[in-house]
Amino acid sequence: MIDYKPGKQAWYEENEPREGKAVDEIWIGDVAGSDVPTCSPTETIGDIRRRTGGWDTCVVVDSKGVVLGLLRKKELEADPRATAEQVMRPGPKTFRPNVTLEELLKSMREHEIQTNSLVTTAEGRLLGVISRADAEATLAHEQAAETRTDS
Amino acid sequence: MAQVFSVSEVKQLLEQGAQLVDVLGEDEFEHDHLPGAINIPLKQLDASTAARLDRDRPVIVYCNDFG
Repeated sequence: MIDYKPGKQAWYEENEPREGKAVDEIWIGDVAGSDVPTCSPTETIGDIRRRTGGWDTCVVVDSKGVVLGLLRKKELEADPRATAEQVMRPGPKTFRPNVTLEELLKSMREHEIQTNSLVTTAEGRLLGVISRADAEATLAHEQAAETRTDS
Repeated sequence: MAQVFSVSEVKQLLEQGAQLVDVLGEDEFEHDHLPGAINIPLKQLDASTAARLDRDRPVIVYCNDFG
């Protein structure tokens, strides 16, 4: 007998397929983008800004990709000599990839998260980000499609 | 004796004909499970429920995660 100890959660973290009623759900791991900029805690804000021009988010990660903090617009406008670690928002709220879009949006509203949410493994390794606008648009599109199917 | 495997190793074993058993409850299994898994909830796991399995093929069991 083989004990697949990482279990179902690790399977979904690798974006592997699922069966059951949940195939009709949209999970945030299905739609999160993985192209968000990342930086190390020791990189300076000036260097990060030069490297990530156009983005208003940068995720601070350690050498294993584990999320340490978040730089949003305000932090990216800080003193360019400051390090990411000095100005980041430490320990941002994160979500697992098998959370539904509805659950994500409910939580974003409750925690007043207006911009991006981070999708990570249970150990905190960054998988991607999803913006509130994208989450709302995807859900609205899906609900409209369901209404058309029902009628 | 049980061995511990990774996602990629599990996929390889499934391609080679291994059986996948989800030992979570029925409701949770109905909601979502790994493709091709059969459900034998841990509380129901005994000689009679395990008789559904082919003794000649490897059996991979899983639950939620490390927790």
